[in-house]
Amino acid sequence: MNRPFLRMVGIKKWFPGVQALKGVDFEADQGEVLALIGANGAGKTTLMNVLGGVIQADEGEIYIQGEYADIRTPLDAAEHGIAFVHQEMALMPTLTVAENMYITRFPSRLGLINYKATKERCTQALARLGIGLDPGTKLQHLSPGDRQMVEIARALLSEPQIIILDEPTSSLTSREKARLFEVIGSLKQEGVAIIYITHLLDEVFQVCERAIVLRDGEVAGGGILKDLTYDDVVRLMIGGKEISPHFGRRTAHIGDAVLYVEGLSRRGVLQNVSFTLHKGEILGLWGLLGSGRTELARAIIGLDPIDTGRIQVRTDGSMKAIHPQEAKNWIGMITEKRREEGLLLPKSVKINVSLANLPALISRIWPLIDDKRETELAEKFVNRLEIVISSLTQPVATLSGGNQQKVVLARWLQRNPPIYIMDEPTCGLDVGVKAEIRKIIGELADAGAAILLISSDIDEMIGLSDRFLVMNRGRIVAELSAGSPKDKLMAAAAGVV
Amino acid sequence: MTSSGGLGSESVTQVQILPAMRRLSGEQIVRYIPSIVVGIAAIALGLFVPDFFTARNIINVLMQSSALGLMAIGVTAVLIGGGIDLSIPSVMALSGIFGAMYMRAGGHPVLAGLIMVAVATLIGTINGFAVAYLRMIPFVVTLSMMYVAQGACLWVTRAISVPVTNPAFVDTVMAKIWTIPVPVIFLLLITAIVTVLIGRSLHGRWLYATGTNIRAARVSGILTARVLFGTYVFSGFFAGLAAIVTTARLLSAAATMGEEGVVLSVISSAVVGGVSIYGGVGSPLGAVIGALFITLITNSMNLMHVSYYATLVIKGLIIVTVVALDSLRRRYKR
Repeated sequence: MNRPFLRMVGIKKWFPGVQALKGVDFEADQGEVLALIGANGAGKTTLMNVLGGVIQADEGEIYIQGEYADIRTPLDAAEHGIAFVHQEMALMPTLTVAENMYITRFPSRLGLINYKATKERCTQALARLGIGLDPGTKLQHLSPGDRQMVEIARALLSEPQIIILDEPTSSLTSREKARLFEVIGSLKQEGVAIIYITHLLDEVFQVCERAIVLRDGEVAGGGILKDLTYDDVVRLMIGGKEISPHFGRRTAHIGDAVLYVEGLSRRGVLQNVSFTLHKGEILGLWGLLGSGRTELARAIIGLDPIDTGRIQVRTDGSMKAIHPQEAKNWIGMITEKRREEGLLLPKSVKINVSLANLPALISRIWPLIDDKRETELAEKFVNRLEIVISSLTQPVATLSGGNQQKVVLARWLQRNPPIYIMDEPTCGLDVGVKAEIRKIIGELADAGAAILLISSDIDEMIGLSDRFLVMNRGRIVAELSAGSPKDKLMAAAAGVV
Repeated sequence: MTSSGGLGSESVTQVQILPAMRRLSGEQIVRYIPSIVVGIAAIALGLFVPDFFTARNIINVLMQSSALGLMAIGVTAVLIGGGIDLSIPSVMALSGIFGAMYMRAGGHPVLAGLIMVAVATLIGTINGFAVAYLRMIPFVVTLSMMYVAQGACLWVTRAISVPVTNPAFVDTVMAKIWTIPVPVIFLLLITAIVTVLIGRSLHGRWLYATGTNIRAARVSGILTARVLFGTYVFSGFFAGLAAIVTTARLLSAAATMGEEGVVLSVISSAVVGGVSIYGGVGSPLGAVIGALFITLITNSMNLMHVSYYATLVIKGLIIVTVVALDSLRRRYKR
């Protein structure tokens, strides 16, 4: 057998304005779990897109078992035994598990789909992964974790020899994660080469044997993980920059109540949710995925309807009941989906930064936006948040994830609302930007803003929050004080109080 | 890199064919193709048609495109918001017919003009309500409205055109100021005003934001339903303005004013003028320049005795081509 099994040599890739890959050499062997690590924009996904045939490299070659592999399309990749499980799941919610898995390879009889055989094969394929799902269930009724499993099961149907998993645990609960790791283990036994892309170093040390770290489109280093420490890997990821992973604990100056939510309910989603948020306070809303935390945030600001409940905000010194549709006047919202719900991707940095504050930018003479003021304010907040851009007219689509998230933050900072709701504000960002954004959140609270913080990163929650509300199945099940230990939070979220 | 997945393999292939052009950005090249085509067409006409670049001829072309230009401005707002309005020409015809019938019954010409604008705006309001608040699909709503209005036109006129004989109405609308017809002055003026307003006013910005990413706009506190509602009212209003110009120019109002060919012209004016069918991109000025272009090629085809049916084919192809270029451009952007 030719070793290494997979070899990528001198891979280069340009995108308009940037060189995403600057000559990457990459090797993977059968029966190993290889971690591909790097900060945002380091080129991990681009490199794997090249291998998966999603995009083509401008220079460089791919060899599989020592033979040159000409991969131009995802189909070519599949023929070479490569399966790519994408970060954003490519499944059809209104079709069943079996239909999703066999959509390109339905067993047929006389030109018609043989549903019975499909179902049988599907059950077998799922059983092999230890998944007991009904093949007839529609995807939309499955949890994110089960959907991920279906995606993996589908990728395995072609019996690939190389599997690329792109951030596979980003939407999984800890139990689902454990199951995924078992599946990875058994695939390894079968001699599959597994390339595991992730941000989460805990997982890297847990499931992978070897790591390759990318930085700015180049291989920064790597090696056998047994010989590396957590700090070694972080240093490779961020290069020369020294970043403390810890959060400067603030001494909070908590003031009067500014937001009072009472008896908020929405059938099947939220049940009688009540809480108070104070000036200068960071209130951590903790819960597992699907506990109702995002749904609560959306209901408060009127993005989703509510059945019953009351929302009051402090205006001019006294509390006033408001309709959720008006909440935008007091509440700045940062959603978990920055590309889908945060940004006008093709539009300029300037337009994105001023979006929430336009009424204040109207000129005194005309009913038109005062361009000079708009530019000044945009510049001010771009500088304050240290957003790296070539000019204010640069489209935000061309920025890195971290800078994009800062643009969303800058937008609300310019508006300066008394209350913020931040849903996963550092999700998917690299270590350095995470630290910067956490610092900004702390500063906002110090300046008197009331912040409702939602995060799946328990260290972030503990590091930032002054108080915790724990949600489970649409209800608030516990209130915990700052400094509560991890296990207590975890237990409360799981409903074991 | 976050996995955008938007990089189709085809576009990548093209980038590779021309590695030297990689930094020139395919997007930029594709973006200006419509403008380049308009420019070449204008130069060609200037070369082959004597007296093309004379003031009188230019005013003539502007006059002929004034109603189309007004409708193109109307549809531009809807397109920027991410919708489409197919009912504009038939609404224009219906409101024109109402105004003309009112004048035939002895009504005051000013009131007749107001009726045209009011009827068209009202129908736009219905479209807007259905799209923005009932969340119906714009294509279905306005296609249905197109047939409702067209049917109503034929029904109330019994398919016979209504003459517009009121001299005060015709003389006022068709008056000339320094040899320039009023509709031309009106079109230029209103194009300038609306272009500035859409580009730099609060509601204009909200409109672009809504058309670019409605979910992000909503999260940013923009009342997107109200914005979308407004675009259909706006396009209805402009259909009414176009009705005044058209009835005065043709000295009659008839169902044929809103036939299918006109819908094609309105949409192709906007897309040739750089308004994206996908929302969030374009300007009224561009759409009016597009209307000039469409008028020019329609006229040239008439002069070359190209059949009416062939002109429909060509206009349809223009829309498809420009939209295809727009899709290409968007792909480069990812």
